[in-house]
Amino acid sequence: MKRLLACFLLTVLSAPAATYYVTIAGLGGEPDYEQHFEMWASDIEKVLKASGGEAKIETLKGPAATRFAIGALLEKIAGEATAQDVLVLMLIGHGTYDGVEYKINLPGPDLSATDLAKLLDKVHASRQLVVNMTSASGGSIEALKHSNRVLITATKAGSEKNATVFTRYWLEALRDPAADTDKNDTISALEAFRYAQQKTANFYETQKRLATEHALLEDTGAGTGVRTPSADNGNGLRAAAFPLLRLGSMQAAASNPEKRKLLDKKEDLEQQIDKLKYEKAAIPAAEYKRSLEALLLELAKTQEELDK
Amino acid sequence: MCAALAAQAQTLERAEALRKAHNYEEANNAFRALVKANPKNAEYRVRWGRLFLERFNRADAASLFQEALAIQKDNAGALLGLALVAADSYESRAVELAEKALASDPKLVEARELLARLALEDSDPKKAIEEADKALAISPRAFDAMAIHGTVDWLDGKNDSPWFDKILAADAHYGQGYALAGHISVLNRRYEEGIQFYRKAVEVQPDLWSARSQLGVTLMRLGEETEAREQLAECYANHFRDDITTNTLTLIDSYKNFIIDKSGNIVLKLHKKEADLLRPYFESELKRALATYEKKYKLQLTRPVQLEVYPDHEDFAVRTMGMPGLGGVLGVTFGYVVAMDSPSGRPPGSFHWASTMWHELSHVYVLAATNHRAPRWFTEGMAVYEETAVSPEWGDRLDPHTLSAIKNKKLLPVAELDRGFVRPTYPEQVVVSYFQAGRICGYIAKRWGYDKLLAMMHDFATEASTPAVIRKELGMEPADFDRDFLATIDAETHKIIEGFDEWRTQVKAAVALSHAGKHQEVIERTTPIRDVYPEFVEQGNVYELRAEAFVALNNKAAATTELEGYAKAGGRDPAALKKLATLLEEAGRPVDAAKALDRITYIYPMDPEVHQHLGTLWLDQGNREGAIREFTAALASKPIDLAASHYNLARAYRSADRPADAKEQLVLALEAAPGFRPAQRMLLELSR
Repeated sequence: MKRLLACFLLTVLSAPAATYYVTIAGLGGEPDYEQHFEMWASDIEKVLKASGGEAKIETLKGPAATRFAIGALLEKIAGEATAQDVLVLMLIGHGTYDGVEYKINLPGPDLSATDLAKLLDKVHASRQLVVNMTSASGGSIEALKHSNRVLITATKAGSEKNATVFTRYWLEALRDPAADTDKNDTISALEAFRYAQQKTANFYETQKRLATEHALLEDTGAGTGVRTPSADNGNGLRAAAFPLLRLGSMQAAASNPEKRKLLDKKEDLEQQIDKLKYEKAAIPAAEYKRSLEALLLELAKTQEELDK
Repeated sequence: MCAALAAQAQTLERAEALRKAHNYEEANNAFRALVKANPKNAEYRVRWGRLFLERFNRADAASLFQEALAIQKDNAGALLGLALVAADSYESRAVELAEKALASDPKLVEARELLARLALEDSDPKKAIEEADKALAISPRAFDAMAIHGTVDWLDGKNDSPWFDKILAADAHYGQGYALAGHISVLNRRYEEGIQFYRKAVEVQPDLWSARSQLGVTLMRLGEETEAREQLAECYANHFRDDITTNTLTLIDSYKNFIIDKSGNIVLKLHKKEADLLRPYFESELKRALATYEKKYKLQLTRPVQLEVYPDHEDFAVRTMGMPGLGGVLGVTFGYVVAMDSPSGRPPGSFHWASTMWHELSHVYVLAATNHRAPRWFTEGMAVYEETAVSPEWGDRLDPHTLSAIKNKKLLPVAELDRGFVRPTYPEQVVVSYFQAGRICGYIAKRWGYDKLLAMMHDFATEASTPAVIRKELGMEPADFDRDFLATIDAETHKIIEGFDEWRTQVKAAVALSHAGKHQEVIERTTPIRDVYPEFVEQGNVYELRAEAFVALNNKAAATTELEGYAKAGGRDPAALKKLATLLEEAGRPVDAAKALDRITYIYPMDPEVHQHLGTLWLDQGNREGAIREFTAALASKPIDLAASHYNLARAYRSADRPADAKEQLVLALEAAPGFRPAQRMLLELSR
């Protein structure tokens, strides 16, 4: 399964497409929240713009973040985006859940998860990521679930109604190279989720406060979000292959025909390493170590050639 | 009418008989029916309250005693019941309530015995004997009064006291007398002897579960967990399930989650979830403290010291349950066993774990040197004194409660200072007493020299009293000592006390200005009061207020100076110290930046970023071993970026000329992130 994942990831990385980033900062209700929501949305926009590339970045915040404006923006993207494109929607603010329907608080009428799902369904981008960082966001999973959509929510259910800190750490994940844990110069949706989730948990732990938010990830379309995505529960595969933010020059290497052969060798070695790691439990420790070291050394040499 | 009275008597007798037969549920039902049928009978409520008290329910017991007093305002039994409730939690009003009970019924021997016990708990054997004699005058079968006599004899070193034999001669199965002696022994931190008394108590009265429970708890405190579990399990199986019994059993069960490391004269017990991270810090600091104290106290310990570190404060709290003056403490010492909160058990910056450890280890030496005979004030005073002797930045600061106590002349005479720990008369008195005891030791060391403290310690070993030791070693009467000491304290704190109200007003205003973003005004407002109360480093302190304002005004040099002052004054907030490190680094002072981060490792070593950053600074400065320690800690604190952490450790190993270790870390880094370029490059370099 891991091997398949590696193949998928490499395909994604070597076939660049347009990425649409949409960030919505909803109604704060009071100056402190208003200020924070707008600041986070602005900071996310800055990070995305600074990363360069062909990204199409849209941010709606403050009085501009109305249901009508969100609808118009997503309709516009639906008219432009192709199946190869990627859509990332990030929601910041307060949410509510009445036991049936989730809504994000906006200036004017609120937007329900059901209505948002209808808008997203019109967008042809075959890979979509929705990061709902509002309070009660866990209540939006059922309405937003879709087989081509990765969902991340700051809370595990609609009943977690307190204002969240997850947004702060999601933003930090986009800024911090440490979030790229596999050092492939791309922060995947899964890496950012794990980063923000761990930092959020640490926040409550160190403050000795009862955690009032428990982030979930859902990427199977089944609507069952999980806190620890893994091969065991079947979640995380799509999120791991979802390139949220590119940090380096992967695209440049992929488009250079002279280096294509080396890149193929590199990909082959990476797959061998992945396979070996997958079989780790079944191999004697010394043999595993020896094989891993040899493969890593070969990969390092190949990378050295690629970097020349 | 006669028939009704007879029925009533039968019911009370039945209720009491059920209680004595340990059939508590039926006894409770009987008392309830009795009270319901006789709502105006105060005595029934008192008896029912005593049942609740016996079954560990102080709250309901107190309610019933209060209800009895509402029926009969001077009911002696109810007043005694309330006195017993208060005594259980070492409340100072226990004495007053017991005296009121006696005023109502001068023949109430149990109240007189309680007064004797309370006096002994307050280290006043003379009064204890007086009260015990009064009890014996009322009843020659006042066994607890006899036990008080026996205990006082034992405290005086008379091991052939006839009093316990007298009790047994009258009732061969009365174990409570020995249990009382065990209780007083434990309060005097003479745990081994406490265990001996409790053993005798259960030997003569095997179903005295309260004594057996205390035997188990005391054994556990000394690290004798196997027998402790056996004793406590027996209590539990026999339905003696008070909080301390059940919680201690639960704690013993949780020990499977701890890792025990034995090395030379130390035994370190850490929770497995944080053992890898904390071990290097705790082990090295423990060894350093023992080596220092061995020289200072001129004493070599004959047994290993066991240090237990609890990440869950509730687990640590079980260690101190039922002990007076230990509410809110961070560490506790039982002979050679020290238990303390883990730095992860409290919010970051709320305590200095290394300072706490040195404090507790001082107890180990003072208790060993005096065979547990030093008074509480001296033991605590030495420990507080030692904290700042290690580093002036350690130890607790002069807090507003203590200032208030000084201002209002609430410091106790040295001869009575133990009372401030055992039976405080106001909520902050324990904290104030710690401060006072520490300052007394500091005062003695400064005026007469440190060796004088050692001489006093050895005097206490001979069971000399505080007044006697002061007369002998300091050549003055305790009252004269108090006068001189208080004059010194007044001189030291005069300026703060005088300016305190104004300081508080201005700080409050400055906090509001800071929130409003008026940074220049924060500076102006705090400049005149900056040095009034320099020891205040808690939330809302002037240093951080000014530093924040200076940063906002882009005066980083001034902000750095403020935060350096904060650190020097003992400031412990990791966030503020991290800010200081950043400012120092920006100012081109990496060595000082590393020192600022190193301070945090003694306060809150749970932050992987601190370890990564400090490791990098030390590696750049050539402190290879320090860098290895920090990068190892970063890995142990479960960082998000595992590959980078392994890589950093590889860098440190390579710098320390340990290529094999470096290579191992590189493989681990690349296993997590095969495409990690810096690690790939180093692996190639090391493989060529």
